[in-house]
Amino acid sequence: MAQTRREMLIDPLVDNNPITLQVLGICSALAVTSSLQVAFVMSIAVTAVTAFSSMFISMIRNQIPGSIRIIVQMVIIASLVIIVDQVLKAYAYEISKTLSVFVGLIITNCIVMGRAEAFAMKNPPIASFIDGIGNGLGYGLILMLVGVIRELFGSGSLFGITIMETVNNGGWYVPNGLLLLPPSAFFVIGLLIWAFRSWKPEQVEAREYKIQVVEAH
Amino acid sequence: MGVRNFFDRIEPNFTKGGKYEKLFPIYEMVESFLFTPKTVTTAAPHARSYVDMKRIMTYVVIATIPCIIMGLYNVGLQVNSAYETFPPSGWRAAIISALGIGFDASNPLANFAHGLLYFLPIYITTLVVGGIWEVIFATVRGHEVNEGFLVTSMLFALIMPPSAPLWQVALGISFGVVIGKEVFGGTGKNFLNPALTGRAFLYFAYPANMSGDTIWTPVDGFSGATALSVSSSAGYEQLAAQGMNWMNSFVGTVQGSIGETSALACLIGLCFLLITQIANWRLVVGCMAGMIGFTLLLNAIGSDSNPMFAMPWYWHFVVGGFAFGMVFMVTEPVSASHTNVGRYIYGALIGFMVVMIRVINPAFPEGMMLAILFGNVFAPLIDYFVIQANIKRRAKRHA
Amino acid sequence: MGPIRRFLALPPDSVPKTVFVAVTLCLLASMVVSAVAVSLRPVQEINKLKDKQINILQVAGVYDPEVDVLEAFAAFEPHVLELATGEFTDKFDAATFDDRAAADNPETSVALEDDPAGIGRQSRFVTVYLLRDDAGAIDRVILPIHGYGLWSTLYGFIALEANGNDIFGLQFYSHAETPGLGAEVDNPRWKALWPGKRLADEDGNLQITVARAAPPAGADFHVDALAGATLTSVGVNNLVRFWMSEAGYAPFLENLKAGEI
Repeated sequence: MAQTRREMLIDPLVDNNPITLQVLGICSALAVTSSLQVAFVMSIAVTAVTAFSSMFISMIRNQIPGSIRIIVQMVIIASLVIIVDQVLKAYAYEISKTLSVFVGLIITNCIVMGRAEAFAMKNPPIASFIDGIGNGLGYGLILMLVGVIRELFGSGSLFGITIMETVNNGGWYVPNGLLLLPPSAFFVIGLLIWAFRSWKPEQVEAREYKIQVVEAH
Repeated sequence: MGVRNFFDRIEPNFTKGGKYEKLFPIYEMVESFLFTPKTVTTAAPHARSYVDMKRIMTYVVIATIPCIIMGLYNVGLQVNSAYETFPPSGWRAAIISALGIGFDASNPLANFAHGLLYFLPIYITTLVVGGIWEVIFATVRGHEVNEGFLVTSMLFALIMPPSAPLWQVALGISFGVVIGKEVFGGTGKNFLNPALTGRAFLYFAYPANMSGDTIWTPVDGFSGATALSVSSSAGYEQLAAQGMNWMNSFVGTVQGSIGETSALACLIGLCFLLITQIANWRLVVGCMAGMIGFTLLLNAIGSDSNPMFAMPWYWHFVVGGFAFGMVFMVTEPVSASHTNVGRYIYGALIGFMVVMIRVINPAFPEGMMLAILFGNVFAPLIDYFVIQANIKRRAKRHA
Repeated sequence: MGPIRRFLALPPDSVPKTVFVAVTLCLLASMVVSAVAVSLRPVQEINKLKDKQINILQVAGVYDPEVDVLEAFAAFEPHVLELATGEFTDKFDAATFDDRAAADNPETSVALEDDPAGIGRQSRFVTVYLLRDDAGAIDRVILPIHGYGLWSTLYGFIALEANGNDIFGLQFYSHAETPGLGAEVDNPRWKALWPGKRLADEDGNLQITVARAAPPAGADFHVDALAGATLTSVGVNNLVRFWMSEAGYAPFLENLKAGEI
């Protein structure tokens, strides 16, 4: 193993973050971040699915035929997602209503598939599990950051608890309605990526082209 | 030449290796604002012309002068008229009273002065806040502060409703300058119109302050719908009942954003821009054609439930931000298409979209801002197809 | 080496192994998923029921988070109402009757010609709820209403006093209106405008209006429109007026006033 388990857990948080570096899982990050509570549950759901699917796939990785490899991964991931969906409906009904289709769409979340294919197929179960947890947390970290910004400035609250009383409820804060609309998450995630890459310049991708100065002849 | 000498003396501090090397953009900005630039492009691939960027931008600002004058007059007129039924209040009224100007709506000077008191705070806020962002980015990125900002700030201030809270103005111009322009590399690389980007941000973030019936005349308790919102709820025939006819919509003495009510003033600005060849006439032709064509089509189709279908094109032209947007934003060279055929298509797309949004979308009575931003996004694609078609045609000819 | 071990030792890409892995995995996965789904179903059903009941409790003004929902809801009497006659019917079981399914079913619904609420088809039967006081007299009636706003259909309940004319409350439980504008129908401050308003005047003319300016009938019949949300307000106005008209609950309210319920 090139990485220690600790590194596997920490690395996807900032240095190899699935959202800001690999730019995966954007769809759900736009949809579920207008309230922090929902973003939090979504983070946990994705983390659980990524960790367990990676672990199960890794457990049978030597038995999986190459020809139906992706289908096998999909079946495992899909089963886990349905279980998560059912559990949420049973024990967190209000939140599952807000999450609606996005729990189901974890199946298509590139992070889960990406980790299964890139890591779990080549590594032992426990390492895969930790890798899944790390990537889920990396995803969750960004979701929470975006969620804090959107809920605080969009509704004046955090986790549904009022921080800044809004004008409509007799307070002083004029909520920013744009932040409650999904497109605002594009701006917020874009700005986060900008901040991350200013902090860690090695994350900046190489330019596809460069304007060169050619001496006049 | 004291000033020139002063600049020559301090210049070495700002050039490479100097003490304040980082602050060169600020030095350059002040210096080139006062004097003609010393560095002139001479190398072959550049087309040389006496019109430099600074000249273009200055001309656009000059072209907005009729709109500014009409806007100031109209804001004052609306407020002074409203004061006939509502008591004057606020610091502006206090200043006007102290100066002895009075609130006579039939006195153009009184209207003008009152309008100025609404426009100036908005404009100064825009300049200061936007200017700070410009300088920050110029300093960090090491490029020059661009005169383009003078145009952006003027246009942004003119498309604000007169009642806009100043903190929202500051937020809007910040978003426009940073997200609309600087993140893409500054003037010349902005594919969106920065002023409109800022306006769109405010429109979605604070819709209660940017749309509705109470914001166009900043008098407490006064409510006056724009021509477009009256038309979309009751039909344009009802405009007369609200005291609006085609002529006063054309001249611009109706409810609306500060600078965009007067189609007449916009047309004067357009003439200036066309004569100086700053605006490309193809964009204007395309935009008018798209608007007129689609309106005629909708007139012919008709609708029982949607009165906007019946609105004729000469009304579409004078109401809302159509004239202002077409003259100052559709013609903005950076965010428009760059090929001649593309310019017709780009203009027509915007003309089509504005009618589409105004008539068919139930949520937005006005569509010029969104139509132009939509056009901006499509401009590079239009250019791509125009160029590809051209390549194919030439390949066929030489095959 | 037994046959099983020999089989496991086959290379993964051989045909029998591929089929084996596929079948086993599918069986395992389907078993686990169905086991979870079946075992959690009862809890989910209760959640769904509670969700609807909480809305009814809230609009009737008797919701208390401390009290168990099912228990509190026992005070409510569900009835299936035939709209045209304004009388309860026992053709359906009120506990299981599904209003939305009934609106889609051609046998129990009508396509509307005049459709101000924008609902397309209207069910001829709806489930209404009665809340009785300690003496057994009707205290409040809770009527489901729905209609189109700006972007979406708003589903909700209106609660009326026993006289069938005074509004006790109004609440929407499902909609997708613009956050910050139309979605302010959920704002408690706006909902607080409804209690005490009246539907019809002394002559029985429907007067309730949601608008910016008060109607000629007076402030008793006027609920202020949502600021900046013209179309959602128009939608709410239309749907409330539609459901309180002859096509909606008017026959039932007549019966209620006459004491025939």
